[in-house]
Amino acid sequence: MSNKSLLVVDDSATMRQLLCMTLTRVDGITEANITEASDGEDALDKVKSGRFDLVLTDIRMPRMDGLEFIRKVRSELNDVALPIIIISTKGAEEDVQIGMNLGASGYLSKPVSMTRLKELVTNFLGEH
Amino acid sequence: MQQESAEILSLFKKSEELVDMLRKGRAFTEELMSENERLRYRVVQLESERINPSQTLIKEVERLRVENGQMAQKLEFLDGKFQQVEAENKDFAQRYVEVEEQNESLANLYVASHRLHSTLDSVEVVECIKEILLNMIGSEDFGLFVMDDETSGLIRAGYEGETAGTPEYERIALGEGLEGVVALGGEPFFSETADEGHCACVPLKIKNRVVGVIAIYSLLSHKKGLSMLDHKLLELLAGHAASALISSKLYSMADRKLRTIEGFMSLLRVTQGGGNV
Repeated sequence: MSNKSLLVVDDSATMRQLLCMTLTRVDGITEANITEASDGEDALDKVKSGRFDLVLTDIRMPRMDGLEFIRKVRSELNDVALPIIIISTKGAEEDVQIGMNLGASGYLSKPVSMTRLKELVTNFLGEH
Repeated sequence: MQQESAEILSLFKKSEELVDMLRKGRAFTEELMSENERLRYRVVQLESERINPSQTLIKEVERLRVENGQMAQKLEFLDGKFQQVEAENKDFAQRYVEVEEQNESLANLYVASHRLHSTLDSVEVVECIKEILLNMIGSEDFGLFVMDDETSGLIRAGYEGETAGTPEYERIALGEGLEGVVALGGEPFFSETADEGHCACVPLKIKNRVVGVIAIYSLLSHKKGLSMLDHKLLELLAGHAASALISSKLYSMADRKLRTIEGFMSLLRVTQGGGNV
């Protein structure tokens, strides 16, 4: 898993730090494997220029939100294989449905359970 | 006379033959008796051999019974041991979950305190407190109020949501509303149901001095209530957010004073330079 590359997208630096800290507790992942982006546009540029095995994204972000980012990755970049997990404060059933219909691979609502996040990340990185 | 002696000789021969026959008969009888003895011994031997297998079997059955008893004891011991190990395993699994929760809790607290003290910009400190309240605690509607030294009341420094955004929460006098009461008394308020319009109201304190208040009016729809971790985070915010807010305030005041002094110094230099010319 050491060669896996992850992208963490969140406008909150606090959240990015917390997610990075949690991800580095997954076997084989170090800070070197993690790239950060502060909004959807920044994330889209990074996905275009680099290769990622997993993306964790928030929804509510300035410039480009998480849903728009997913839509662009799936339709414009035509990348349907890249696993994208949404981590958002929007946790209602319809919000989850909207995210999954747009092509999200998983959905976690904030405040996120770190144990659940580690399980999900391990599963996705193990599969791909 | 000659005839008589011949008869006697013949009788003597016959008697010798008879003796010889008797000797042979005796030897034959002795041989028969010996054989009889041997056969009797053999019969006894065969009879004992016929009885012994059943005794061996009985002994073997007895040995197996003893062994079975020992095995049953061993099985009982192993079963007890297995149950003990299984209980220990469950205990370890439970402890692992607890340690994971503790780790999660510590990671949250570490990140929160690290972020709060990573800047001296008061706007960033307020943003950081808002991020913690939204992302880590899961508050939907909340306000951050700081103590105004001039009016001795609370001023809204940041908020999220409808309730906290209403004009009535821009300024709150000490002792008015839950926020004012908490700011005056310095004691936190927690409600599990939020029926009274507040989930939590926590004073931000440096030692015993209240420098502000965090009021949470509602949690995110999918969050049922405040957990132990949320309480810990709010406790941490009560201390660390207060010191971060005051530090940033003092820093901006010192920075302002420094700029003023620097302005005076440059003005003096210009004046002195002008005088020399």
